[in-house]
Amino acid sequence: MKAYLAQIGTIIWKDVLSELKTKELFASMFIFAVLSILIFIFSINLSIVNANDVGPGVLWVAFIFSGTLGLNRSFTLEKENGCLQGMMLSPVDRTAIYFGKMISNLLFLSIMEVLILPVFMIFFNVDIISVLFSLLLVIFLGSIGFCVLGTLLSSLASNLKTREIMLPILLYPLVTPVVIGSVNMTSRLLAGEKLADMTKWIGLISCFDIVFLAVSIMTIDHILEE
Amino acid sequence: MSENGLPSPNHILFVKALRKTFGLIQALRGIDLELFKGEFLTIFGPNGAGKTTLIKILSSLAKPTSGTAYIAGFNIEDANPQMRSQIGVISHASYLYDNLSALENLVFYAKMHRLENPEERAAQVIDEMGLKARMHDPVGVFSRGMTQRLSIARAIINNPAILFLDEPYTGLDQHASENLKERLSVLRDAKRSIVMITHDIPRGLEMCDRVAIMADGKKAFMGHVDDVDKNSFEGFYYQTIANSRVDKNRK
Repeated sequence: MKAYLAQIGTIIWKDVLSELKTKELFASMFIFAVLSILIFIFSINLSIVNANDVGPGVLWVAFIFSGTLGLNRSFTLEKENGCLQGMMLSPVDRTAIYFGKMISNLLFLSIMEVLILPVFMIFFNVDIISVLFSLLLVIFLGSIGFCVLGTLLSSLASNLKTREIMLPILLYPLVTPVVIGSVNMTSRLLAGEKLADMTKWIGLISCFDIVFLAVSIMTIDHILEE
Repeated sequence: MSENGLPSPNHILFVKALRKTFGLIQALRGIDLELFKGEFLTIFGPNGAGKTTLIKILSSLAKPTSGTAYIAGFNIEDANPQMRSQIGVISHASYLYDNLSALENLVFYAKMHRLENPEERAAQVIDEMGLKARMHDPVGVFSRGMTQRLSIARAIINNPAILFLDEPYTGLDQHASENLKERLSVLRDAKRSIVMITHDIPRGLEMCDRVAIMADGKKAFMGHVDDVDKNSFEGFYYQTIANSRVDKNRK
């Protein structure tokens, strides 16, 4: 188990090191998310529309679309020079490769989300400080579901010539329940409701996260195999 | 071939009736091969003969449709981590990250192989391949020859029992080819088992102990290098391929 965790840690270390050198992934995700929020802010008249009503949707559009950019890039890098095969030739369980890539994706997405929140707060003029802990928990729950499924589908789509198109086509319909739940909870949190009143939504998203994870563990071996 | 259909302790590679199909295409049509510890096998064959598919199956990157194969006593169907720790692969692709340095790449693979002192081992194999001066440079700026040498370093970092080389001379200039040949000679002299796929007949013959020819997914010939006439091998090679195709068309 220790060796298994060490190998997952090695994959994350490699991804972080690679990202620190190029900053390609993070820069594209962050710029895309900021631009999404800016475009919405100029198209919505916040003197008529309540920011708490539209804000959560805009926030999650920024998260999901920029996250998809990251997912696409994640396995594309592994395909260059056949690096994924290089990893598969190592004495490592295929699930360790999956977990390493998934945690890396979650890490990059989470950092981007934390940096986007102040931008969102300033432009939409909403108070997220008072609900920050609950909001971060909701964002984390939604992001887990997105990255768990997204990493699996990204590995699947990476074998296709049309991977940039196929990933969203495969991912968005399946991840919709998680996104709907996350947007709903974010909206209710900003409206002043407490997280304790949303246990059904938390349960639903957690269930999807677990199902996505179970499916990923069961299928990753076959997906990575040629 | 072993009498009981199982490898002996001296076998490093033992392949029996290996088949692989991709839909209607039969990439491998019942391959039998055996190689003993410390031997160097060169496999020749035209494009589409199934050589790369064979290497992919033997290195656990793909699963066979049927048949069995053992590497260092491990059945490839199990494809367990222990078996993969006995293998090194040098392919068309370098398996190296362009934006990481040579040292970082090899430390990554050393850690993935759970080696003790990964930094030390990575630096050692880089030095063996004559790349010490460039170990902190990103791989993306390396020449093709340097990348290939680093690929060899990556493939031997875990001190594998058997090395698979899939057309290692592809894209190398004369100087880089000579350099690669020297490195392979060192590995062969160290009695490392090697399976090399190549189209380069002179280079393939000069280092191997055994030679095989694959055509249309089948082993068309296998023998000891001392039993083949090196001067007339090219003619023999083309004749063997032609005969194999005639046989296939008859069937």
